Amino acid sequence: MNYTYLDCLAMFGVGGAHPGGLRLTKNILSSLDLDETKTVLDVGCGTGQTSAYIAENYRCKVISLDSNQIMLEKATKRFSERQLPIEVKHGRTENLPLDENFVDVVLSESVTAFTDIPLTIQEYKRVLKQGGVFIAVEMVLETPLPKEDVKSVIDFYGVHQLLTEQEWYDLLQNAGYKQIEIEKVKTEFDKNDVDNAADFSLSENIDGGLYEILAEHERLTKTFQDILGFRVFKGYIS
Amino acid sequence: MSAGHYYGLCQRYRGRAVEIRTHDGRCHRGIIRRVNNNRVFIQPLGRNRNLGGYGYGGFGYGGFGYGIALGAIATLALLPFFFW
Repeated sequence: MNYTYLDCLAMFGVGGAHPGGLRLTKNILSSLDLDETKTVLDVGCGTGQTSAYIAENYRCKVISLDSNQIMLEKATKRFSERQLPIEVKHGRTENLPLDENFVDVVLSESVTAFTDIPLTIQEYKRVLKQGGVFIAVEMVLETPLPKEDVKSVIDFYGVHQLLTEQEWYDLLQNAGYKQIEIEKVKTEFDKNDVDNAADFSLSENIDGGLYEILAEHERLTKTFQDILGFRVFKGYIS
Repeated sequence: MSAGHYYGLCQRYRGRAVEIRTHDGRCHRGIIRRVNNNRVFIQPLGRNRNLGGYGYGGFGYGGFGYGIALGAIATLALLPFFFW
């Protein structure tokens, strides 16, 4: 069987699979005015690390969506173990199973880059309430890259496109986001801070092929460490 | 440090990727699956150099990975793992 990068994340059950990890997530959330009247949609929730953190710390309504069933099972397990009243939904960001004008915040932590971006950000806009905000931590291309290298990154990660900061900005603007903020964040790994280390909810049996994916991911990360960066994007719809 | 110390540390680091060096000089990279009074069980992440080369682990270890005696641990550190 041929595994994808996202299969690998699902089987290893990687929580906080996004640049900056839970620490950056906490930072972003603290800048929002979240309370029990607000609804947050955590797209591509994965194993539910962020969703659980939001529900535990802000008491707002949380909807967790993922397109991967293994991820959703792991998220559901996490939520029920902690008795968190989080609504779990299976679906894709390009076609959200939600009514329009429904949520205050859409949070995407290295998720939107893996989707059909123009369609997805339109969908976010559809489900956001007036005054709502889309927040994302996403991969950007820092410097131009030869076509064949772009292709190897796109093929391996299964992203649709590799965008520069400016290209992200243009897409958000075209989608009708009124105010767009982009922030470059530096992150450092603290080897004593367990809360910010990726947490793994391993599946019982992990096929050897998935280790090869992990090895290739590590290799690409090294090769392109100065070329693939990330930004925090905020898009307000009114 | 004592086995008791590493027992507590391994409990806290469950589900995390770690690098464990043992007193015999070996280095183990893996994710902590569980720990009991004597051993910590890790799902290897490969590049275990104990066989003289770099090999990716995970083959034939079964559900709980393999065990390392807590008393054999010299150092234990979290591994920086970056994911998109």
